[in-house]
Amino acid sequence: MAEYKLTQEGKEYLKKDLPEKNLVKTLKEGPLSLKETKKKIKNLSIALQWAKRKNWVKLEKNILTLIKYPEKFPEEDALRKIHEGKEVEESILKTLIERKLVWRITEVYKKTEEAVIKAGNVIGELTHNIIRTGLWKNRKFRPVDLELKKKLDKSKIKAGKAQPYNYFLMEVRKKLVQMGFKEMTGPIIETEFWNFDALFQPQNHPARDWTMTYQLKKPKHGKLPDKKIVENVKRSHEVGIAGSIGWQYKWNPKKAMQLVPRAHGTCLSARTLASKPEIPGKYFAITRCYRPDIIDATHAIEFNQLEGIVIDESVTFKSLVGLLKLFAREIIGAEKIKFVPAYFPFTEPSIEGFVYHPKLGWIEALPGGIFRSELTKPLGIDTPVLAWGIGIDRLAMFKLGISDIRYLFARNLERLRKHKVIS
Amino acid sequence: MPTVEVSYKDLCSLVGKKLAIGELKNAIAYAKGEINSVDGDLLKIDIGDSNRPDLWSAEGIAREIKGRITEEKGLPKYEVKKSDISVKVDEKVNKVRPLTVCAVVRNLKIDKNVLSQIIQLQEKVAGTFGRSRKEVAIGIYDLKKIKAPIKYTTVKHNEIKFVPLDFEEELTPKEILEKHPKGKEFGHLLEGCEEYPIFIDSTNNVLSMPPIINSDYTGKVTEKTEEVFIECTGFDFKFLIPALNVIVSALADRKARVENVKIIYPDKAIFTPDLKPKKTFVEINYVNEVSGLKLNGKEICNLLEQARYQAKLKGEKIELLYPAYRQDIMHFRDVVEDVLISYGYDKIEPVYPKLVTVGCIAEKEVFSNKVAEIMISLGLQEILSYTLTNKENLFKKMNMKEERIVEIENPVSLNWNVFRNWLLPSIMEFYSHNQHVVYPQKIFEVGDVVLIDEEQDTKTKDVKKIAAGISDSKATYDEMLLILDAFLSSFKVKYKLKRAEHPSFIPGRVAEVLVNGKSVGLIGEIHPKVIKNWQLEMPVAGFEINLEEL
Repeated sequence: MAEYKLTQEGKEYLKKDLPEKNLVKTLKEGPLSLKETKKKIKNLSIALQWAKRKNWVKLEKNILTLIKYPEKFPEEDALRKIHEGKEVEESILKTLIERKLVWRITEVYKKTEEAVIKAGNVIGELTHNIIRTGLWKNRKFRPVDLELKKKLDKSKIKAGKAQPYNYFLMEVRKKLVQMGFKEMTGPIIETEFWNFDALFQPQNHPARDWTMTYQLKKPKHGKLPDKKIVENVKRSHEVGIAGSIGWQYKWNPKKAMQLVPRAHGTCLSARTLASKPEIPGKYFAITRCYRPDIIDATHAIEFNQLEGIVIDESVTFKSLVGLLKLFAREIIGAEKIKFVPAYFPFTEPSIEGFVYHPKLGWIEALPGGIFRSELTKPLGIDTPVLAWGIGIDRLAMFKLGISDIRYLFARNLERLRKHKVIS
Repeated sequence: MPTVEVSYKDLCSLVGKKLAIGELKNAIAYAKGEINSVDGDLLKIDIGDSNRPDLWSAEGIAREIKGRITEEKGLPKYEVKKSDISVKVDEKVNKVRPLTVCAVVRNLKIDKNVLSQIIQLQEKVAGTFGRSRKEVAIGIYDLKKIKAPIKYTTVKHNEIKFVPLDFEEELTPKEILEKHPKGKEFGHLLEGCEEYPIFIDSTNNVLSMPPIINSDYTGKVTEKTEEVFIECTGFDFKFLIPALNVIVSALADRKARVENVKIIYPDKAIFTPDLKPKKTFVEINYVNEVSGLKLNGKEICNLLEQARYQAKLKGEKIELLYPAYRQDIMHFRDVVEDVLISYGYDKIEPVYPKLVTVGCIAEKEVFSNKVAEIMISLGLQEILSYTLTNKENLFKKMNMKEERIVEIENPVSLNWNVFRNWLLPSIMEFYSHNQHVVYPQKIFEVGDVVLIDEEQDTKTKDVKKIAAGISDSKATYDEMLLILDAFLSSFKVKYKLKRAEHPSFIPGRVAEVLVNGKSVGLIGEIHPKVIKNWQLEMPVAGFEINLEEL
């Protein structure tokens, strides 16, 4: 059997009479203008609605007149009875529920109320049911425990975080894109053709020795590109091209077909130049590279290179210096930079930019040069090409505050979890 | 990059000017050098140019920077006098090591510094420029102990005996290859030869067995040596001539007297060394076009004189002579670099390239990054591992049969000798390093695997994949699927699951993930055997998905 309870409004009327009762009580003194009545009666519109429906009053030309003063107020009696837990007539109950003066107590309410009372009439945790039943009204909430911090079970939640080095590389990508550079991609396993020959590195160069470059056991040989390019590269090596005397030896296509894990990212620049790049064009690549170095604090099994090219009729060595200076500021965040002559097999003239680190002094950071004509011409490019690089792994070490390059690929979960997210 | 050791005092005296270390540091940059360490009088200098053997000695460095910081500019002058020494080349050497060029140097005043520079230069030139003696082997001998004419010929493996350098007993050529440390180090250069090359004088005194070792009697230069015979052997004059020129120029810089040697080949006779300067030219326009500077002819001439060229202005062209020890000038560009080095890299006013271009990140990277973002938002820690690994990790520990993969011929370590062809082993390896870290451990990696693909020019293909793992006292398929589902539905990818079998997973608790009817990966609970193989004791659930198939 259901139980009923007065609502807040019901309780108020029980205490201060129903609005329609107040109205008829007032009109007993004589008719009143609507304006006057309004001043005297709270909830006049509710009072009027019910008094008119019961035919107790009439309204004519803004004047309210009592028709008859009722003998009984059954709703009021019913409210009292419900309040006292007694039963009332079904039809009146229906009206009262409709008037939202009475509501039906549910199982949920009873259970929630019991729980709240059991907890000492204090709310520890606000729940869906407490909000629904309104049981929070006129009750106190339990204050939070400031000592909780010491008792936390930290295994329950861990922030998912980006791998710091990966995150750093993505930030660098974004900066380069802002500067108008387009990202190049290419295969991890390369033919020596793209890794060396197309870069005008002679086939007997020590860097092509197996102590300097990995070679593959299987698969061993790949395919050479377009015949025209191969012929040009061969000529460039054997007798020279574009005013060069070349390396003067017999170029061996079989050697060029050998597969290697790429030893640097420059092969991507060569591939880009050979496939009709945009002119003017600016390109970059972040590449995983492989060399058979002995592994120590500065040499990892795998490392990344960041490098790229700028192709345009207007570029000169002066603009290369400008470009490197811009990188020092925008990407490395260094204000002081100095330049010295350098040697790279693919570029002439070549340059190395050193940036100033407050603790470590001058650090080699920005290699660059103008690609040799012996490299660009065979790939079909007559426009000057600036080639640049940024020592990205060392930069990452500085930015991430680590001194051993192997930590870039940290395999310590604790370290990764504790790592501060870069802003 | 060659590193050379020089005496600070010796270097200053060669330059003819006392320089403070700071000044020397700046000056050495003109020779593409960087002082790596200072230990009392001993300087270690890294020379950045691996194509300029003339810079790999105190003499060469001094010569190069003198042009920039002293009054001595233009071509260094070298005179080659005639000698009566000749070398007869036997045609038998054609089969082993066909060519030689030689020189005689007299009036040497050898002290400790000179001796160490001679030995060092000889080692660097033969080692780096001469490709570990393959292209160039160099021998230097006390001329007073040799009776000309000298013969370059071959002998059978046990035909003669001589005492090799730093040994006391006589050995045959074959024994030298077996017993002497240099024989062991360079013996492969004579592999398969029926006879071995040899220099021998008119009294049948052996000078050396190139490219392995000198004799102890003639082939030992000391502070008492006053005149030397030098020979370089190899296969190509393109290597041999510059190598010899570099060495004799360095000795000439010490005020020694260089004399030529007549080398009698079966078909012709040549005289070496020849230190006559070489000719080239450069156009004013070209220099300015490449450099971006606005130099006039006179200025360019002046800058090239500092770089030890002789420069003469002829209209729009500059005619040039450059020293015989330089073999690196292949193109006008090489000359422009010398102009710029003399000009001073730090004096160049930078201009910022003003090219309007549209940048973009490669699509693959953008997608990988988005995938990582979703996984991170699901509370997983991102990890990054090497693409190199080993077969044990990829197959044996994963309870699998070996598959065809990309293998390295010359690994530095057997731990890293193949490319991974799937990612879950990287997840398992990571777990194996973190057993003492608080569980649950939820991790993922987005990375490349390398597969064999005969269709490609490189016979291989990189594939971008994602693998994720959960490890805890309980780690279930159900929990893993929640993550996979959240990840795939973020990209509105509709997928189906199909019962599958895979040796790395528990039978019945693994499914194939299908997108558009195609298999894109696996999800399931890792087999306890695999967990044990990785020395782990916590259950692991995981998935691996090919991102390029989504």
